[in-house]
Amino acid sequence: MTTVATAPHFDADIYTDQALREPYGHYRALRDLGPAVWLSAHDAYAVARYDDVKHVLATPEVFRSANGIALNEPANAAILGCTLASDGERHAHLRRIVAHRLTPRALRPMREVVTDAADALVADLVARGSFDAVGDLARALPLSIVPDFIGWPEEGREHLLRWAGANFDSFGPLNARTEAALPQCGEMAAYGARLVREGGVLPGSLGAGVLEARDGGEITDEQAMMLMLDYLAPSLDTTISAVGSAIWLFGAHPEQWDRLRAEPELVPNAVQEVVRLESPIRGFGRLAAQDTEIGGVAVPAGSRVLVLYASANRDERHFADPDRFDVARPDALEQLGFGFGEHGCAGQGLAKLEIAALLTALARTVRRFEVGAPERALNNLIRAFASVPVTVHAD
Amino acid sequence: MRIEADYDRCEGHGQCEERAPEVFELDDDGNLVHHYEGRDLPAGLEDAARGAAAVCPVAALRVVETSPAPRT
Repeated sequence: MTTVATAPHFDADIYTDQALREPYGHYRALRDLGPAVWLSAHDAYAVARYDDVKHVLATPEVFRSANGIALNEPANAAILGCTLASDGERHAHLRRIVAHRLTPRALRPMREVVTDAADALVADLVARGSFDAVGDLARALPLSIVPDFIGWPEEGREHLLRWAGANFDSFGPLNARTEAALPQCGEMAAYGARLVREGGVLPGSLGAGVLEARDGGEITDEQAMMLMLDYLAPSLDTTISAVGSAIWLFGAHPEQWDRLRAEPELVPNAVQEVVRLESPIRGFGRLAAQDTEIGGVAVPAGSRVLVLYASANRDERHFADPDRFDVARPDALEQLGFGFGEHGCAGQGLAKLEIAALLTALARTVRRFEVGAPERALNNLIRAFASVPVTVHAD
Repeated sequence: MRIEADYDRCEGHGQCEERAPEVFELDDDGNLVHHYEGRDLPAGLEDAARGAAAVCPVAALRVVETSPAPRT
């Protein structure tokens, strides 16, 4: 018989402005308390250690996504049945409709498009000398690639970033950010529904594939509407966050930039290291479908579980010197910022391609990033900068 | 030990190839080629293969311990 322990408690709200700005002290405290820690402010068990995060993600039959992703009921009800918030066969079916377009093999034709766009963008910004690494660089590339890829019509694109941010805010606890976000998520859903009703997506795009699957009877109208949005919202803020953090990190660690320039084959590893150290997604929730345990701590059926990727990625039990930025870190590939398993990020191939293309283009000409005072964007789910003013010094 | 690959689940992210190129590679079409499909790995490649299974983003690689079962 194994001994099952009771979860220790942690009383602080980890979604205040200050906690969102500086989350890593809280995460360390959670890791030190145990494998599963009761968050009394959020009615959920936090899972903050690497091994336990991986266990939860690898056990989807116990830790379910339906009704589990968000820390509040209205958001869980709103997204129920989308790819992110479904389980088992239903999830596999939805993922198959779209995910094959996002795999590295399917993305090969995109490689040139993304590389050319990154090269042109970087050439323009280097010529300017000073720019905002978030507004001018991080946002510009995905916005020039993703809406076309998904087939979103021109009309409505002006709302994409606001809706995507609201989508992520809504997954937090029912705080002011979530309350402000929920109506905007409704706007986005209504827009998705209109696309499914009226068409208007670009031919040959991911969105066109969704409508074909609907017309072929593979999915319902409602599933088509959700699929239209499933890959849009997550493909913007996440990549934008990683690129903004990358420039900030390389500005603060010029020796790492020197190393990357000297060894450009390290770029893919550097991308993993940025996502590890400044994980764009703080974490997602799950719902325990049965009485279970996490690392020997009892978790009763019906419990909400908050799986903290950003904490797992700094777990000193797994990564040596975890707060250090090291583009050559030998186990950076083991980071969990893209999640893992059945729900592992389907768009990670595109994300890595975009981030690597920008770093490669920058490494060719930029010697130093001189970073000014950055400003945080506060979002319940996404860790990101609102702006990172930078002056680049070229060779 | 062996590694079982779930080819339906594999999406070709290629992280196994980065970790254990002697064991896994993606062919020109991006499909997974498992050089030790259905057979035990030589002792010298076990660690790399375990590492590759651990970093598969979609958990399509499963480690199967065969006798004699190594201690972990």
